[in-house]
Amino acid sequence: MTISDERSTEVSGPVSGHPHNTRKLSWTQRPGLLSQNLLTAIVFGVIGYLIGHWFGNYLASGYSYIANSGQNSIANTLALAFGVVGWLGGIGALNYPFAKLFGVDGLEEESPVDNWSKYFRYSLDHKIVGLQYVVGVLLFMFTGGLLAMAIRTELLNPTTHIFSPDVYIKIVSEHGTIMMMMATSIIVGPLGNYFVPLMIGARRMAFPRIEALSFWIFTAGYMVIFSALPYGGFPTGWTGYAPLQTQAGPGMVSYLLGFAVIGLGMILAGFNQAVTIINYRAPGMTWSRVPVFVWSILATAALLTLATPVLFAGGLFGLLDKTVQTAFYVDEHGGSSYLWQNLFWFFGHPEVYIMALPGFGIAGELLPVFCRRPLFAYKVSAAGMIGVALLSFFVWQHHLFQSGINPDMRPLFMLTTELISIPTGFIYLVGMGTLYRAKIRFELPMLFVLALFFNFLIGGVTGVFLSDVPVNVTVHGGFFVLSHFHYTIMGGLLFAFMAGLYYWLPKMTGKMMNKKIGKVHFWLMFVFFNLTFFPMFIIGLLGQPRRVFTYATNLQGLNDFSSISAFILGFSFLVFFFNLVYSMWIKPEVAPANPWESLGLEWQTATPVPSYNFERIPVIMTEPYRYSEEGAPAFADFGPKDAPDSPTHTMA
Amino acid sequence: MSNSAIQSGQPSLSNEEREYEMRALISSIWTGGRLFIGIYTFMLASLVFSYFYLRSSDTGLLWRPDHVTAPRAFGFLIFGLSLVTGLLAYVGRKRLVMGSFQDFSVAAWSGVVTGLIALLLQIIELSHLSFYPGSSGYASTFIGFAVMNIVSLVISAYWLETTVARGMRIRREVEGENPEFSSNPRARAFRADVAAMSYFQVFLTLAGALLFAMFYLM
Ligand code: HEM
Ligand SMILES: [Cu+2]
Repeated sequence: MTISDERSTEVSGPVSGHPHNTRKLSWTQRPGLLSQNLLTAIVFGVIGYLIGHWFGNYLASGYSYIANSGQNSIANTLALAFGVVGWLGGIGALNYPFAKLFGVDGLEEESPVDNWSKYFRYSLDHKIVGLQYVVGVLLFMFTGGLLAMAIRTELLNPTTHIFSPDVYIKIVSEHGTIMMMMATSIIVGPLGNYFVPLMIGARRMAFPRIEALSFWIFTAGYMVIFSALPYGGFPTGWTGYAPLQTQAGPGMVSYLLGFAVIGLGMILAGFNQAVTIINYRAPGMTWSRVPVFVWSILATAALLTLATPVLFAGGLFGLLDKTVQTAFYVDEHGGSSYLWQNLFWFFGHPEVYIMALPGFGIAGELLPVFCRRPLFAYKVSAAGMIGVALLSFFVWQHHLFQSGINPDMRPLFMLTTELISIPTGFIYLVGMGTLYRAKIRFELPMLFVLALFFNFLIGGVTGVFLSDVPVNVTVHGGFFVLSHFHYTIMGGLLFAFMAGLYYWLPKMTGKMMNKKIGKVHFWLMFVFFNLTFFPMFIIGLLGQPRRVFTYATNLQGLNDFSSISAFILGFSFLVFFFNLVYSMWIKPEVAPANPWESLGLEWQTATPVPSYNFERIPVIMTEPYRYSEEGAPAFADFGPKDAPDSPTHTMA
Repeated sequence: MSNSAIQSGQPSLSNEEREYEMRALISSIWTGGRLFIGIYTFMLASLVFSYFYLRSSDTGLLWRPDHVTAPRAFGFLIFGLSLVTGLLAYVGRKRLVMGSFQDFSVAAWSGVVTGLIALLLQIIELSHLSFYPGSSGYASTFIGFAVMNIVSLVISAYWLETTVARGMRIRREVEGENPEFSSNPRARAFRADVAAMSYFQVFLTLAGALLFAMFYLM
């Protein structure tokens, strides 16, 4: 049946389940003081915090971390937990779950307020959530970055100190935790939410409320983990190892609860993405036509949904240890500190691929555009991503080679770890194959992608070294590991994020990023990233341990080199922020409709993207990435707009 | 074209397109229900892993001194009631498919009640333990189990209640049409929701049986 046949017999009513079937606005959604927005979220969050604190003290007063300190772990936990609930209630995330008790269903949705204030509200539009996430992750990055600057300042000199050893470790811990939490969402959140529906030709997300909830949980988690600092910090690094975890003060509660809260947000975000990709692809978008970025988000979503519950449970057990005095991680009482390490890394290793795959997705998506040719071995890269996702559940013990693991088990996990570099290598080779003898357009996004391949080569190869048990024994716990994962995460993921922003911001905002400033940003970031972290491999091989505020005096030269490079690296981010402000507000330059001449679906709809994304459901006609191909059909048929009688637009 | 569509500037779709989106919505409920089971499995598996990990490590011979066990009477009652809840959800769905909304709603409301009683008992049980939370590995994991069970029971009762409340509302609003047969989109979404819900309840019951055996029988 053709769509044109149907046009004359349109029906009305809540049929499509689209989030914008208008109904009368309830007071919570109307503009004005009484509506729910960021402000009410803050107020309710504070009230929740206070109530929780009072309630905790009521339940268990005189029950303190340190005798007579007045710090009560139950009060702390409940304060933060109630604060989170208050925050969610204040923003309006709990209205619908509550209304559901009375039989209200998701099809009677309200149309959101349509003015600037929509960015400060609980929004069901995936594009608004995407933009909210951009701001959210940049805020995360900024605070985490400041802490990094503090770390490098302290390491300028091995004998003259700015911080005490114990303040130093708390700064390192906070830095690591914030950055890891940010990195799990940095692409899935902003770019995944904004672009996945557009790239698969969907007019909505499968679960817009769950998507919005994931963002507001993410922000709540940020505040919880940040509250560790005023509570006195936590001394364990981002890995939170027991028994230090058990001995630590109130800041540890913020860490455990923060991770649990962020984890919940990650699960929800992945859940919504996976279901959307599986079910909302436009007609004609078979699995072999799905853009590679979407493949990467799907693989990531599988990890987010299946690995993160383990982190959540691990955090819950830690909180029980802290509050009701169970002994999950307390060896003296029948628990085991290794239990935490196992739970943490069972999540933690998939987590590192949560931080790698979306980056490769962006690289794979951008390469064809700037090389003007199809992605080399598209199917191999999709298979590689699924392979990596599956294998990543079987390697976690490589983080525990030195942790009293049964020595006979080590070769096995060495093997699985080395196995996982095979699909990873495939993904890498897909990139190389696409680049091989291509006429490359060296636009800004492309520069970041090329840098990613350079950095990840170093990061990945050192990973293979690390998985070798004898090597691991000598470098574990030192700067070599530190450098390895900065090369993969910062050098890979963060460069991909920048590529994605420069590439897609014109679509998201309708404005181009300034190229000159962008080039300055790129070269500073690329050069000084390498100058900061490459010396750390050497520092590590020379034996400097992580998370210690002093070091052997003969290493000062290398450390200073690294620190000074780090400051310039930090400065490059200021250049980026300046560019953002400059190009978006000070001197905006209107972006052409399709500045990179991409064939991608996301560039074929109007800018700004209407709330329903596409006027008609597009029908996908062919494989993606058929660049420079004579006579290739258009990627999608968008159907007739004004002339309803097009015989071609069928959905069969 | 309906008024509301004009207001929000949304173009109207053909029936075929609407149906396409409707099917996506229904299958999303299906996929979502299954994926939720996956998520929940991994969470419960963390507990099972912890149980066996601590049991086999037996640090300081403190896995389970004197084979302490949580009060069995509570255990049997709580598990029995959750079993009944699961069965009611399952049977209720079967009856709905066969065309009786009445039976479904009786089963579902009873399930809500049995679920809530189980929830209450689970909370009360915590004040009737013969051991302190931190006295052994078993004691710790038991507390973890109790907390997760509380979460499960809340989810179970909530999902049952919201589906049956929705069914009743649809019956009221879509006059003359029964949610068990109607082709009204909301009725279709409702049926998909009930299917996902009963599937999840069966899963919870099976997982609950395993955990019950681990903590009360083994
Ligand atoms: C070729 C693939 C990779 C291999 C074979 C590999 C191997 C390893 C090994 C064996 C370790 C343990 C080192 C130790 O603590 O002794 C490790 C640590 C780590 N890797 Fe990788 N890795 C790979 C890719 C990645 C990627 C893609 C990421 C993230 C995007 C990543 C992030 C990390 C992190 C965060 C740690 C250290 C965590 C910590 O101790 O704080 N790795 N890697
Ligand atoms: Cu790993």
